[in-house]
Amino acid sequence: MATAGEDDSVESGIGRVTDLVGRLIDNPLPWLLPTLAALAVFQLYPLVEAVRLSLTNEVLTATGTEFVGLENYVDLFTSTGFWQMVSVTAVFAVSSIALHTLFGLILALAIDYGVRRGLRGHLTTRVSVLLAWIVPGVIIGLIWKVMLVESQLGAVNYLLGTVSIGPVPFRSDPTLALVSTIIAGTWRGTAFAMIMIYGGLQRIPQRLYEAARIDGAGRWARFRHVTLPQLKPVLFVTIVLVTIYALNTFDLIFALTNGGPGQATEVFALFMYRKAFTDYALGEGAAVAVVLLGINLLLTVVYLYAFDIGAEI
Amino acid sequence: MTEDHDRAEDGGSGDSYDGARNRPPRSDGGTAEEPAAGGSRADGGTTSASGTVAERLPGAPLEEARDALADTDRRLLDAVVYGLYAVAMLFFAFPVLWIVSASVRPQGELLTFPFRFIPQEVSLTAYQRVFREGMVTWLFNSTVITLVGVGSIIAVSVPAAYAFSRFRFRGRRQLLGLVLLFQMISSIIIIVPLYSVMTTLGLIETRVGLILLYVGIQTPFSIWLLKGYFDTIPEELDYAARIDGCNRLQTLRHVLLRPIAPGIAVVAIFNTVFLWSEFVLAYTVLGSERSLYTISIGVYEFQSQFGNDWRAIAAASVVGMLPLVTVFIALQRYFVKGLIKGSLKGE
Repeated sequence: MATAGEDDSVESGIGRVTDLVGRLIDNPLPWLLPTLAALAVFQLYPLVEAVRLSLTNEVLTATGTEFVGLENYVDLFTSTGFWQMVSVTAVFAVSSIALHTLFGLILALAIDYGVRRGLRGHLTTRVSVLLAWIVPGVIIGLIWKVMLVESQLGAVNYLLGTVSIGPVPFRSDPTLALVSTIIAGTWRGTAFAMIMIYGGLQRIPQRLYEAARIDGAGRWARFRHVTLPQLKPVLFVTIVLVTIYALNTFDLIFALTNGGPGQATEVFALFMYRKAFTDYALGEGAAVAVVLLGINLLLTVVYLYAFDIGAEI
Repeated sequence: MTEDHDRAEDGGSGDSYDGARNRPPRSDGGTAEEPAAGGSRADGGTTSASGTVAERLPGAPLEEARDALADTDRRLLDAVVYGLYAVAMLFFAFPVLWIVSASVRPQGELLTFPFRFIPQEVSLTAYQRVFREGMVTWLFNSTVITLVGVGSIIAVSVPAAYAFSRFRFRGRRQLLGLVLLFQMISSIIIIVPLYSVMTTLGLIETRVGLILLYVGIQTPFSIWLLKGYFDTIPEELDYAARIDGCNRLQTLRHVLLRPIAPGIAVVAIFNTVFLWSEFVLAYTVLGSERSLYTISIGVYEFQSQFGNDWRAIAAASVVGMLPLVTVFIALQRYFVKGLIKGSLKGE
């Protein structure tokens, strides 16, 4: 009798706990709590802290900081170094967008064609392109550093040497250094554009091509009037994402040229890093970070507008 | 670009010439209805078969003529595409192969003339040097951080994605918008305040701190991707499980986990690549604590210390990318599928 009673109470105890858990997990909060905590601590707080820092004259090596208002921003926008960096970033970003998207489009079309025709080599091509994309950024910088060394052990200069060109100072000439970072960036980034566009190609309904064929459209006409218009949304999203990616590039350039020679390859993120951690001017570095944040937000709005994310939420 | 029957006729052999030869009705149609088109062709391939008029589809002679013309055109395009493949393979694979080749040369062979792609003799002294400088520690740290980090990211983002997909609550849309915003904003922006933030939290120069930071940085993307997978599962499945007496946790575990498993795999692959490769956050958080260096930091520091030892830099690069490359080649198909699916959600 007694044991039966105990069993009952234990059972009802377990029942009550299960009920409690059941009621608790019928509320979304416990499900979201870890995420909300992580986002608040590691995303929101640092961003707020960046804005706060940008309004102070904080220096990494000294104590005693004051609120200086918008002084850091005024200094930034009136310095030649900032505008020099903006133009370098613009050249890097525009070339990246053009090259990644163009190469991505050509490769996506070539692979799509190869898959449909059963051509050999499309898989190996795809793997080679993607391989470049998964190599860690710092190592990409080093690979290209070795490739572009100004003696015959740099493969590129060696090959140019066989046709009596060079040696070309890929990393010490300001213009060529920027070209080198763009080449290395394209080596890595083409895969992303290729995959995006390849995905877009798969979503074009085949009946559109059949209809175009019946209307007598040739290959070029079909590309021009079916493929391109159908790819437009994907191309737009790709371009926005490549832009965001290019504007925030850091590790590859940090390892390849470290922004040099001089400021020739110093893009936004490297400029910010140098201000904060080489010049120890945390306040100024934070102001650069806030400007970069503004640009990121602007591009995000463009992306959301293009993607019509409202419908998805 | 081309229609389905191309593939059927070519039988996937990849040999378009045979494909064209085995198409008597078409080439015949070309010569019969439009002699100029057939006769002017430089290669005789498509005009060789004749007399099978009976097989010709009635009422479509013009289209057949066009198709016949397209055969030449197609072979030309095949050649162009093969050329593109060759150029792409050379450009994308050559640097990786060259770095491998440079890393296994004996000292000095890099400078001999003429330069060869395949080294005359293989020497592993460059690797010995890299391992002496702490490569084992870097590999160990990166492995621990990647495994624990990816596990934590999944553990945090699966419940959140479930909540966003299955609950209707006030502020849901706004919260989801905020998550997307955090996904789009580059993590590079927070490196300036990061040092003071991590110091305040007592997480500076710790692996735990870096892992928690990665969770904060990578959950938004993971939540978005997983929410997409949850949304494709009909809610009737949930209701049925509820009627059978499952609570939400049991429903998730026993009913929903299996259909979203591919999504979890994609999230795991993406985050593995990101965490293994990540440099600037780790460099800032782990600071000068050598025993905590990850592979990216280790390789970077190594090259700034031994700037002229190109063989050793090549060797360090090879070791640093080898694990990811191996995993990638093994999971290549999965990877591409996930990329295509995930591509429309940023990154």
